[in-house]
Amino acid sequence: MQYRKFTPWLFLIPTLLGLILFRLGPMLAAGLASFTRWSVFSPPEWIGLGNYIELFNSDVFLLILRNTIIFSLLFVPGVMAVALLLAVLVNNRLKGMTFFRGLFYLPVITSVVSIGVIWSWILSPRFGLLYQLVSKFFNVVRLPSFLGDARYALLTLIVVYIWKMAGYFMILFLAGLQNIPEIYYEAATIDGASIWQKFRHITLPLLSPTTFFILIMSLITSLKTFELTYIMTQGGPNYASSTLIFSIYVNAFKHFRMGYASAMSYILFIMVGVVTYLNFKFKDRWVNYSE
Amino acid sequence: MRKSLIITILAILLVSVFAFAVMAETTTIRYFMWDPEFKDLEQELINQFEKENPDIKVEFTALEPSNYWPKISAMASAGELPDVFNMSSGYVDQWARDGLLMNIQDKVDQLPADDYFTKVFSTMRYPDKESSDMYGIPYAWVTTVLYYNKDMFDTAGVEYPSDNWTWEDFRKATQKLTLDENEDGVPEQYGFWWYGRYAHVEPWIYANGGRILNQEKTRIAVDDKAKEAIQFLADLSNKYNVSPPKKDTVGIRQNDMFPLQQTAMWVDGSWNIAHIRNMSQGAFDWGIAKVPAGPSAEPGEYNAYGWPDSIVISKTTSNKDAAWKLVKYLIGKNRPLESYMAGKVPIYKSLANSEEWLEKDKKPQEMDIILELGENMGRTSFTIGWGEWRGYADTGGAGMNGVLDSITNGEMTVEEAITTFTKYGNEVLERYYPEQ
Amino acid sequence: MSRSRKLLLYLILFIISLTTIFPFLWMLSSSFKTMGEIFSLTPKFIPSKLFKPGMWENYRMILQEYNFIRFILNSFMVAGFAALGQLFTCSLGGFAFARMDFRGKEIIFALMLATMMMPIQVTIIPEYFIMLKLDWYNTFLPLIIPSILIGSFGTFLFRSTFENMPSSMEEAAFIDGVNDWQMYYKVFLPNAKPALASLFIIAFMNNWNALLRPVIYIDKPSLYTITMGLAMFRGNYGTQWHLLLAGSVISILPLLLIYITMQKYFVRGMLTSGTKG
Repeated sequence: MQYRKFTPWLFLIPTLLGLILFRLGPMLAAGLASFTRWSVFSPPEWIGLGNYIELFNSDVFLLILRNTIIFSLLFVPGVMAVALLLAVLVNNRLKGMTFFRGLFYLPVITSVVSIGVIWSWILSPRFGLLYQLVSKFFNVVRLPSFLGDARYALLTLIVVYIWKMAGYFMILFLAGLQNIPEIYYEAATIDGASIWQKFRHITLPLLSPTTFFILIMSLITSLKTFELTYIMTQGGPNYASSTLIFSIYVNAFKHFRMGYASAMSYILFIMVGVVTYLNFKFKDRWVNYSE
Repeated sequence: MRKSLIITILAILLVSVFAFAVMAETTTIRYFMWDPEFKDLEQELINQFEKENPDIKVEFTALEPSNYWPKISAMASAGELPDVFNMSSGYVDQWARDGLLMNIQDKVDQLPADDYFTKVFSTMRYPDKESSDMYGIPYAWVTTVLYYNKDMFDTAGVEYPSDNWTWEDFRKATQKLTLDENEDGVPEQYGFWWYGRYAHVEPWIYANGGRILNQEKTRIAVDDKAKEAIQFLADLSNKYNVSPPKKDTVGIRQNDMFPLQQTAMWVDGSWNIAHIRNMSQGAFDWGIAKVPAGPSAEPGEYNAYGWPDSIVISKTTSNKDAAWKLVKYLIGKNRPLESYMAGKVPIYKSLANSEEWLEKDKKPQEMDIILELGENMGRTSFTIGWGEWRGYADTGGAGMNGVLDSITNGEMTVEEAITTFTKYGNEVLERYYPEQ
Repeated sequence: MSRSRKLLLYLILFIISLTTIFPFLWMLSSSFKTMGEIFSLTPKFIPSKLFKPGMWENYRMILQEYNFIRFILNSFMVAGFAALGQLFTCSLGGFAFARMDFRGKEIIFALMLATMMMPIQVTIIPEYFIMLKLDWYNTFLPLIIPSILIGSFGTFLFRSTFENMPSSMEEAAFIDGVNDWQMYYKVFLPNAKPALASLFIIAFMNNWNALLRPVIYIDKPSLYTITMGLAMFRGNYGTQWHLLLAGSVISILPLLLIYITMQKYFVRGMLTSGTKG
């Protein structure tokens, strides 16, 4: 009993078509562009490895690379932990869970500019909500400038991003949680297992395929989002919160250095490629499929 | 019967041929504009133009700047540029160098020069800002002014800024206007507010006769007068504590500091007049003045910092004359004044000199100062790659902007900052102007 | 669950929701304010015009004078078709990846995931040339078709969903003599409702929020999407915040609505087969 030989190809027609026409094609063109100086509005000019050489000789680029790595290393585990916590909290049959699920999803859809404005105000060192709360109990003149100080800007952005995206990954965890049969929990309850034990020995292992999926997706998200950065710090102060994707955006659409931005994109691409490959390679060590 | 049929057919043919001929004479001009806020007013102006020129049809699109530039660039790369479009002073050199814009010098020469603020035309020349041909023509211009809160001046008993204020006078005023009543070291009211932005820093440099570029405008070369200006600003923040560090202002938009009465004085672009009116809602009395001339400025010579917003014609347009007709109309006397936000000056002089533009019944009462400054403009620091090394617009955390912020944040000295942005800026400029 | 435990849970949920609802409330209340009111030094949460004449002024402006109803309909078209299309193509592709063996499977899958990483900022110009060649300029096709044809996220989601379903289900169906299509459509797909629901929510949202493609491919105001409409409030020298925020509220209502309708599919025990385990 098995599928016909040509069925997978039939099923994959749209995907393959899209992959070739709208992904590989433009990507190849961007690859070529990365060897040129190209302002978009004028024809490209071939400069060989010029862009790549410039990148690795640029202090700014190395700082940005470092920021990107820190960003992903902190954002991915952070957002996964918070999202899983939220999902587990609202995944029960108590009254009002639909309501809370809705509330936790709000940051995902609230407009990015609103989020930027309101968080900037909350964190404002002299006028913000946080300052007002803290100054009630302590005698402080001003809070550290979480967004304006080069030491904290990136960390603060990471926290806000986690806050914003947790609801998004919560949905995916929720969908995954549905696939764990109730029977297991009932059996465990009869055996007198605690909530933590149930979580540790039933939920976590049976959820691992979903967790793996979310790991990859949050990694990609961490490297692809920049809208909040753009609104809250503009990559500043002095590049302290610039990440690769933000810099790609700026170079492509503000400075019109499409060739340079393409070169950066390829570096990003290789980085993600390697990390994703490693993830898939070591996946069997911790991901259980049901058979 | 047959005869009448033939006549009818002939008549129909004749009419359709005629109609076709009229249609064929109609040329379509595509016009792209970057300010959707004034979309409706612009459309009215265009309708009027079409009525006066029935043979020209205008297809008009307005896009916000952060979408406008990618879109226009993509169109250029496909050879689909609109016939007429907006151009900023910061990008014009590159677009002209790359041969995308039409040389309109001979057409400009036919305009009556006295009708326009011709001082700002120089920005549209390429390659030489004094002698070369023009590749676009301004429809409006802006400059930078010193805003001051008259109520705060009155309370502190300080006299309003005058034309012969020195920098020393200015600094003393800021000290009197800085109030720290609870004495916690952080003033509740600052005398002044500046950060690393071009409209905050360059006015002081120019008012001191300084330059940040070399004569050919191909390299960063900060001269002593410019250094003196930056040092003066840095001292206001670090030594006299009359202007807040950039990092303390997070959570307040930089252009809200003045209208929200956090500072008594502020130097920024004249287009902020509309913003201050909007934000302050008449909560306090305020005015504008010239940025004080610096101690090293040549006597009798005063450089104001300002630049135009312009319209260009694509080099590949197939309707050169119709396009120019439209451009001439757009910069001319028919443009409604409401399509200039308060503080943005029409390039057409009689429009700017009208009662409606001067708005004597509103604040500030000193609008004529802006028109005076229009005669002192010309020097700018625009180069190819300007946005990149200056840290323009959405990249405010980068380039020279970011480095200057480090001064007020206490992370760099003036010397370090100048060295840093000179090095970075010249890396950028070397790419665009390789030979020196 | 014991009573005190329930109480504790509700308390935790309540505290978390305070932080998530705060910016939303600010946006909502600011959408009724005038420009000056929005950026006062300490934000007021009660707009001065609340329940007074002129309260709906901002909304009236954007709906009547800025033609937002049209933009909303356009966005519904684009996002709706794109999301529905993705449900089909992604589940189909995901099914093939999860349940079938064929040459080059992992390579194709890896390519699909990896190319997702290429920022659209650098691929949009080549893509623009393709769309011009296809003569799709000023149509919705460039906004819908690429998104339908290749949904890496959805395909991956369905791959892991289908992979995690028991093969006993498949074997039983084969014995009953179902063909390949029926296996996908009748046996597996009905069991993937939570995944379908979450993909719909996410795909709809992503297409609804997309801005770059509409800007590049659409010129005609009658075809503008809601994100393009919102961008109109940002000018060369300033932003009309009061209109922008009112527009933002309108633009997220459909997203909220879709989320709330779809999430009823997140109920445990959805899996119809009791065969697992």
